[in-house]
Amino acid sequence: MTKRLSGPERRASIIQAAKRLFAEHGFHAISVDEIVKAVGVSPAVLYRHFESKDALYEAVLSEFASRREDYVDTIVKSDDSFAGVLRGITRIYARSIAGEPDLLRMELHALLDGRGATQVFFKYRWKTFTDFIEFSLEGPHAEANRSPVDGRTAGLMFLGMLREALTDKYLKTESRLRNTALDELVDAVVDFFLAAVGMTPGAQHKGDDDE
Amino acid sequence: MSMSFDIEVDAAGLNCPVPVLRAKKAISGLNSGQVMRLLSTDPGSIKDFEAFCRQTGHALLAQEEHEGTFVFYIRHH
Repeated sequence: MTKRLSGPERRASIIQAAKRLFAEHGFHAISVDEIVKAVGVSPAVLYRHFESKDALYEAVLSEFASRREDYVDTIVKSDDSFAGVLRGITRIYARSIAGEPDLLRMELHALLDGRGATQVFFKYRWKTFTDFIEFSLEGPHAEANRSPVDGRTAGLMFLGMLREALTDKYLKTESRLRNTALDELVDAVVDFFLAAVGMTPGAQHKGDDDE
Repeated sequence: MSMSFDIEVDAAGLNCPVPVLRAKKAISGLNSGQVMRLLSTDPGSIKDFEAFCRQTGHALLAQEEHEGTFVFYIRHH
């Protein structure tokens, strides 16, 4: 008989078990029965906390995604430069993966599973970067003193580098980046990207106040 | 609801952190007591601007929604 937990504790234990199973096998391959078996409760207990397997999956995602306040905090404290903000938001995202690599596994499964709703969830996480990069590199808000760069391609490149770096460090069994500190890795990706789009890392590129 | 404002920022179609970034820049150009009106389509922006006002001390005067567009009135502290 499983230890009697309070409502919130039980909910948390279900989320933990589900996260591990979803991360390892993807959404479709895991049944409610397998989840409750891992937790040691009956399906009825699970359904008391979660309406469906879908709802549980959404709850797992929400539990571990970076908190929006952290992004707001980093913007409020930033120097408003493209480099400063990009470095700040990348650190937050990278740390959320470092704290919970299963989230990255779930994302990769979602791409293969073809679950539209989940893909939308992850798309919005990455949209943080693509919107910011495209917004900053193109159009009337683009910072001065640079030659024009295709924002969409720049965004693709950044996501590719960041995703590869995090996948390598946190998901691969033999990782070349095992001993690389996360902040150092983030700085390397950000600095390389800045150079690629024609900005000097660390230089203060303040945008025009044209609002 | 119609409230007077001193600057308007249209951040529709853009995801966090861009609306907050634009808000920060716009508000920095205002004087104390002046009001910014900001439009966003990002549903998360409600929480974002609550946090933004909490962290900066600017006042969230009002917040409304019209068919998927969120409107914020923020007053410079």
